[in-house]
Amino acid sequence: MGKYILKRCGYIVVVFLIISFLMYSLYNLIPNDPARAQLEGLRSSLKPAEYEAMYQSLRDQMGLNDSLMVRYLRWMGLWTDTDGKTFNGLLQGNFGYSNLFKRDVIDVIVDPMSNTIFINIFSTILSLAITIPLGIYCAVHKKKKFDSATQVVTMLGYSLPVYIIALVFMFLFCVNWRIFPVMGIKTAGIEYANNWEAFTDKLLHVTLPVIVMTFGSLGGMTRYVRSAMIEALSMDYIRTARAKGLREKIVIYSHAWRNALLPVITSILGWFLSIFSGSVVIENTFSLSGMGALYWQGLNNNDFELVLAIQMFYSIVSLVGSLLIDISYGLVDPRVRVDK
Amino acid sequence: MANNKKQFFLVRWFKRMFLGHDQEVRDLLKEEQVQTPFKMMAKNFFHKRTVQVGLTVFILIFLFVTVGPVFFPLDLSDQDSTLINLPPGYSMMKLPAAINGKVADIAPGNTYGIGLDTDGHVHTWGVTRITDKIDLKDIPEEVQNADLVRLAAGSDHAVALDANGQLYVWGNTRLSQNKYSSDMTKHMKNAAKGKTSEEWDIIQLEASNQFSAALSSDGTLYLWGNGNMADIKIRSKYQGKVAKVALTNNEYICLLKDGTVAYAGYKDKGSPFSNIPKDLKKETIVDIAATSSTVAAVTEDGRVYVWGNAVKGENKIPELASPISKLYGGRFHYTALLEDGSVVSWGNNKYHQTEVPASLQGKEIASLYVGNFQNYAVTTDGEVHSWGLKGFLMGTDELGRDMLTRVINGGRVTMTVGAIAVIIATIIGVLMGGLAGYFGGKTDILIMRISEIVGGLPFIPFSMILSAVIGSRLDSNQKMYLIMVVLGVLSWVPTCRLVRAQILAQREMEYVTAAKAMGIKVMTIVFRHILPNVLSILLVSMTLDFATCMLTESTLSYLGFGIPLPQPTWGNLLNGANNSVVIQQYWWRWVFPAVVFGLCTICINMIGDGLRDAVDPKSAER
Repeated sequence: MGKYILKRCGYIVVVFLIISFLMYSLYNLIPNDPARAQLEGLRSSLKPAEYEAMYQSLRDQMGLNDSLMVRYLRWMGLWTDTDGKTFNGLLQGNFGYSNLFKRDVIDVIVDPMSNTIFINIFSTILSLAITIPLGIYCAVHKKKKFDSATQVVTMLGYSLPVYIIALVFMFLFCVNWRIFPVMGIKTAGIEYANNWEAFTDKLLHVTLPVIVMTFGSLGGMTRYVRSAMIEALSMDYIRTARAKGLREKIVIYSHAWRNALLPVITSILGWFLSIFSGSVVIENTFSLSGMGALYWQGLNNNDFELVLAIQMFYSIVSLVGSLLIDISYGLVDPRVRVDK
Repeated sequence: MANNKKQFFLVRWFKRMFLGHDQEVRDLLKEEQVQTPFKMMAKNFFHKRTVQVGLTVFILIFLFVTVGPVFFPLDLSDQDSTLINLPPGYSMMKLPAAINGKVADIAPGNTYGIGLDTDGHVHTWGVTRITDKIDLKDIPEEVQNADLVRLAAGSDHAVALDANGQLYVWGNTRLSQNKYSSDMTKHMKNAAKGKTSEEWDIIQLEASNQFSAALSSDGTLYLWGNGNMADIKIRSKYQGKVAKVALTNNEYICLLKDGTVAYAGYKDKGSPFSNIPKDLKKETIVDIAATSSTVAAVTEDGRVYVWGNAVKGENKIPELASPISKLYGGRFHYTALLEDGSVVSWGNNKYHQTEVPASLQGKEIASLYVGNFQNYAVTTDGEVHSWGLKGFLMGTDELGRDMLTRVINGGRVTMTVGAIAVIIATIIGVLMGGLAGYFGGKTDILIMRISEIVGGLPFIPFSMILSAVIGSRLDSNQKMYLIMVVLGVLSWVPTCRLVRAQILAQREMEYVTAAKAMGIKVMTIVFRHILPNVLSILLVSMTLDFATCMLTESTLSYLGFGIPLPQPTWGNLLNGANNSVVIQQYWWRWVFPAVVFGLCTICINMIGDGLRDAVDPKSAER
């Protein structure tokens, strides 16, 4: 097992390097010149020759004259910085400088990150708490009325784009019934008396996004659990278990469910990723300041160091996610030997 | 035979009595009838209720977006400030029953109409709402009670004159639409006291975009309203000589009492209307009219001259059967009453505003009222005939564009992008999967690693980046192709895995061994022998991918990283709909695209599910 994890980690590093290199070179396709941008203010006050000299020295200083590979490695922290001695890159914790916010990317990211995690934890727990029991119930009571109704609702859930669901829910809950605020992560211009108040206000603002997110992810997951469970329930060992006179609860939850878990875990991978990408849409629709909204903002304002950093974050999440799934395979199902 | 429903027992008994035993079970030949797998699939497929519904609705939507553009062609530059945010409906020319048959005056506004009946009551119809506070339907009490004689309707305000010489303005009055000049208030005060004068004997009342005009019988022209927008001053050499006035969008021209036309405003050389045609100076003018950006004059012998910015065909005067006696102007068209009593319209015909109805032929016309895109003809026996813009089935958006046209054309774009992206993804997926599955070994490992990398990229963020980085210098059409390719290149992984798994299973089959033994080339075995066996499953995944690709495209466009406006897609139609004003007040701007798009993806998924059940009957058990 340990060897397998090590091997996978090595693989992750390689893949991450490839992805990051691809992304980095993609960004270098964009014609932009930070040195010129920085000197733009001085242009009129300097003589052309003086300006040119200053520009060239600044380019050297920024390392813009080096080859793409060198710049990439420097950005990564695997090559010495322009002074030739120190390393100052991603691996050293320098995520770059955001032109949009005029701050280091790492400082920009902290707040939205906490918001995104706050929302996603709620929606993940809620979704799992709904989809798994629902899927099992539908599988056990297959082709009954409740099952058919659930099939229709879940079909809606995965056929409709998230933003349409968001608009409909906004119309119902914010405009029609006025239960939740339309957008934002906190009430505008509010001063909180204490932490508890701040927490409840935040909770009120994220409730609707969480509901929308859950509804959107409900469809695929419920169907997945249901079909895995039906598959498991049709097996011979279930008949055996019933013949032995085991209680139906034990048959379902102990015998069938544990076997149905395996395919379910696979699909959590896709889900794990879609929470991050899905949040781009939801955070934008509800104007929540999360990672997705930040990413969108950065892309719209050509703040590419910020975007690159977030993209790296997304890639690592997905890579580590897939590793976790593979390992949990082995833990859940003793038949699967991941190290083979 | 399982499909035969068990009939009611009495029916069965009667049948048995007269027709003998049920034949169905005994007919072994029929029971054992051999069907090809394809026939079986088709039967299973078409017999499902969900598939039938899904297929029907999908075909309808498909026809809607493929045939629709023929009838509702998209004009990307199309926009109209007078038709902004109109709700769905065809009420713009629907006169209330109370006024029918006893019309005294009609004032056609931009999207609404105001009518005065012979009893002195005022009626409104059409889209009267200007903002959420201002509605022209809310006629002030004093106007209702007054004994009105004349009406005029502007872009967002209405003007009325009563028999005592008092003016009333309602609607939007925030931009000084009701700010009369000092001599007007003086005249009105005098009139209220019962003093009548030639100077305040109003014979013509007009209203246009935020300004209004009143003309008295002695030739004095009064203008008031938003002076920042409109030219509301008159040169003193023309004052007192005006016989008729015609208002364009924010300027005006006058017909003088000596039979000449004059541009009396202060813009002079800057105005396109001051450039009066030379031929016209020798003629005697009897009537004038104006559209939003052109003016026209009718000469004594019934010919018409048009000048100004005639960009919508206002100057394309048709062959006239008889001389013109009266001329009226809409927004982009003219309607003329000829001396033989017939009506002719010309100019822009986008909303059928120049198509004079045949039912008008032979009728004697008492009066004609022409507004924005509307025409009303009142015959001598009191009938009202109208033609022009009735309204919009799905309303209009924030730039005055027809939502129906945009939904249809947006669907065409979204479906095309989805279809081509699926085709690209399938081609790549089949190639990669086929190679990986058949050859195995190092090829397999390499391809699977690549597919893991591509599959591991977070989809939406990555396509956003590609679209932003590559697409920054592309135009709308090129960006469409870019999105197709990006979606295709990023979504081939599931297809590849599917094909690989299928081929791994098929590779061990005997027919492949036989083919190998016959010395058939490897590529031929993979793509001509194995692939057809995988095709049915591939078809299922393509159907489901089609929906997914459409969803992704629309999500990207919704976020502003897909196909840019003004090219509509089902995604970017909803761009900007996420604020409470649009959600509540302009619901038609998001409900219609959302409903059509939602229906479409649901139907595709239904078809895909049905197809899967038909291809793989085991999955139907689930």
